[in-house]
Amino acid sequence: MKCSRCLLQLVRSGRTVVQRGSLLLSPSSGQLIVQHNQQQQVLRQFRCSPVSAKSQPELVRFVNDDGTKKTKSLVTQEDLFEQVAKESKTKATFNQVIDVFTKTDIRRRGHVEFIYAALKKMPEFGVERDLTVYNKLLDVFPKEVFVPRNFIQRMFNHYPRQQECGVQVLEQMESYGIMPNIETKVLLVQIFGEKSHPIRKYQRIMYWFPKFKHVNPFPVPQPLPEDPVDLAILSLNRIANDLDAKTTVYQLPFTDITESGEEISFPHIVGIQSPNQMELLAKHNPNRPVFVEGPFPLWLKKTCVYYYILRADPTPPEEKEEEVYDPERCFYYPLQLDLDLDRDLGDEENFDVDDLDEGPVFAMCMTSQGDQATLNQWISGLQQNNPILGRIPTLFRLDAGTRELEGVADTEAGHSHQPPPQSQREDGLPAEDSEAAVEEEEPRRSRGMKQ
Amino acid sequence: MSLPNISRVSASGLLRSSCDLRWLLRSVAPLAAPRRALTHMGYRRPGQPREDRPPWWRVKFDLAKGLKGMKRHFKLLKEEFFAPFVGPMGKPIIEHMLEQNQVLWEFRGPHSLQEWTISCDREIGGKSEIYLKVGRNNESCLLYGTLCSDPPKDGETRYSGYCTMRSKQPLASFDRKKYHDWSSFNTLHLRVRGDGRPWMINIVPETYYTHQKDDMYSYFLYTRGGPYWQDVKIPFSKFFLAHRGRIQDDQHPVWLDKINSIGFTLGDKADGPFQLEIDFIGVCKDYAHTEDFAYEKYKRNPEV
Repeated sequence: MKCSRCLLQLVRSGRTVVQRGSLLLSPSSGQLIVQHNQQQQVLRQFRCSPVSAKSQPELVRFVNDDGTKKTKSLVTQEDLFEQVAKESKTKATFNQVIDVFTKTDIRRRGHVEFIYAALKKMPEFGVERDLTVYNKLLDVFPKEVFVPRNFIQRMFNHYPRQQECGVQVLEQMESYGIMPNIETKVLLVQIFGEKSHPIRKYQRIMYWFPKFKHVNPFPVPQPLPEDPVDLAILSLNRIANDLDAKTTVYQLPFTDITESGEEISFPHIVGIQSPNQMELLAKHNPNRPVFVEGPFPLWLKKTCVYYYILRADPTPPEEKEEEVYDPERCFYYPLQLDLDLDRDLGDEENFDVDDLDEGPVFAMCMTSQGDQATLNQWISGLQQNNPILGRIPTLFRLDAGTRELEGVADTEAGHSHQPPPQSQREDGLPAEDSEAAVEEEEPRRSRGMKQ
Repeated sequence: MSLPNISRVSASGLLRSSCDLRWLLRSVAPLAAPRRALTHMGYRRPGQPREDRPPWWRVKFDLAKGLKGMKRHFKLLKEEFFAPFVGPMGKPIIEHMLEQNQVLWEFRGPHSLQEWTISCDREIGGKSEIYLKVGRNNESCLLYGTLCSDPPKDGETRYSGYCTMRSKQPLASFDRKKYHDWSSFNTLHLRVRGDGRPWMINIVPETYYTHQKDDMYSYFLYTRGGPYWQDVKIPFSKFFLAHRGRIQDDQHPVWLDKINSIGFTLGDKADGPFQLEIDFIGVCKDYAHTEDFAYEKYKRNPEV
């Protein structure tokens, strides 16, 4: 293994060949004549056109990084990527590495290992969602070698390692949700033949992916908008559950330079309120406070945004008044029908559960900075359309971390300095992580009365 | 395209090394199920030594607990004895035949959490967390925690990051298995409040053959997020058959007459905290839904 690191390059033809000996080229015949060295390495024209070289081959010797030529350490295919990764990790460099590999050896020795290494390195290079890169990676497999040629080969899982490798490439595509295209199928058929495991996997992907593509009743647009205001508008419309709801941008993000030269950045404030919510707020009793609660998490694919809500406790039963429908409000159809439906057991359409009354939600907002000053700004913005807010005391219940949504205003001991009138307290709730965090943050929590 | 100074290993060395490397050891992420009492040993994490204790060592002999258990079993037995005098399943026959909605699990109070088990990939060495507690004012249940999809470093597992909640197998007196019978219904109705994450609902029926042990019928539960409750109605014809998380080629509708449990799984590869509030779970008979099965039942991958 004297020149184990020799790499011969046929510069003109652009095709590189690895060999452990030296290679001679006879210009006249246009064919490669190979010297048999100790390792009996014979290079044939393997499914490629005859090489016509016009010049003497150059012998290029590659050395190890530390200069030793005879190290016997194991060098994995991942090192190829790591070498390139030191410079820059882009799709171009990734493709470059694949090209180097394909052009190095006509037989693509070690391609299985190379493909596994490439699959592992894809997220680092940022190409894991790129179908062209997967097709290029599948191109690394030599074609037509692994196609079974008779029934015995077909029976006995022909070239199992390579088939497994092909399946793994498709599996990574599946896990990132990338739909393969016709080029993938053509490549797979050329490499493995029909009725092979990778083709079966491809068929399964092509069957199930279209079925589940539009199964989400609340689809998230892909890609998500970069602008935080747009993202806020999108998510508020999503959680509003009402097509009549209107979003309002109370403040766009901007930075202000104060007199002392400091830069203060102001966050964006986007709010949403639907006409139903406005009605509910208008009917709210001004003696009862309203609460600004948050932040609550909302996940959109992989980004988490936080929103705040303005809500009130449910009215106690003694204060509930029957809403009388004015029959003159709508002449096209009656708003209230008193029918004596003769329904028996088989027509019972509602579930036998107690209805939860958690109190109305009046408005929602999203902002990047959830402190009391910003939310005060939101409330004052809301006040323009809901003048009753000026008379209702507003309490802020802002907690960092996951909080349960809503619930009657049962507060743990020590939650609020001013107990909202007639709120129920629950003492001795189990000390879980989130509630322990609540207790700790109590002195830091912003409390305020807004009149 | 040439890259200078690349260290190359010899071709024969590569062939040798590819056999050593464990690239080809592929393992499916193991099924996230709480340890069932009927399984022999449960899941053994790779790297953990096998337990050599005989199975009867695991039984704890305790007189007080035994007596309490006996009382409970005999009470259940008495109920079971007198239930058929009322009607099938303890309900009058007219109700059993005609009812259109049945509430299976209603989360009101800590007693309702007894019927559920939670599990996450901490069992296989992952870093997710999951907790289940009663919601505000005892009116719902809150499933919350953190998802972390770093796979455990045991050399075998490749994917990780899942959290599940699963209902326990209903038990009759003396710990006999009882099954849910939903044959007169065709839709699953849930009232949930999520945070926008996509969950998966799994129904595990009772099967006969051993190779059907990990069969599951699954479908997606997409939550909208937000402060409003979400009513989700999923017809049973949409549930597809999966085994150990892999969707199968031969599909058929779920048989509703012997259901062991239902579960919710989260595995959406988005690391971070999650929460799901459930108000109630029920089944209903939707006369407007006439679909038999949503997927093709004919053989789509004929044999080689």
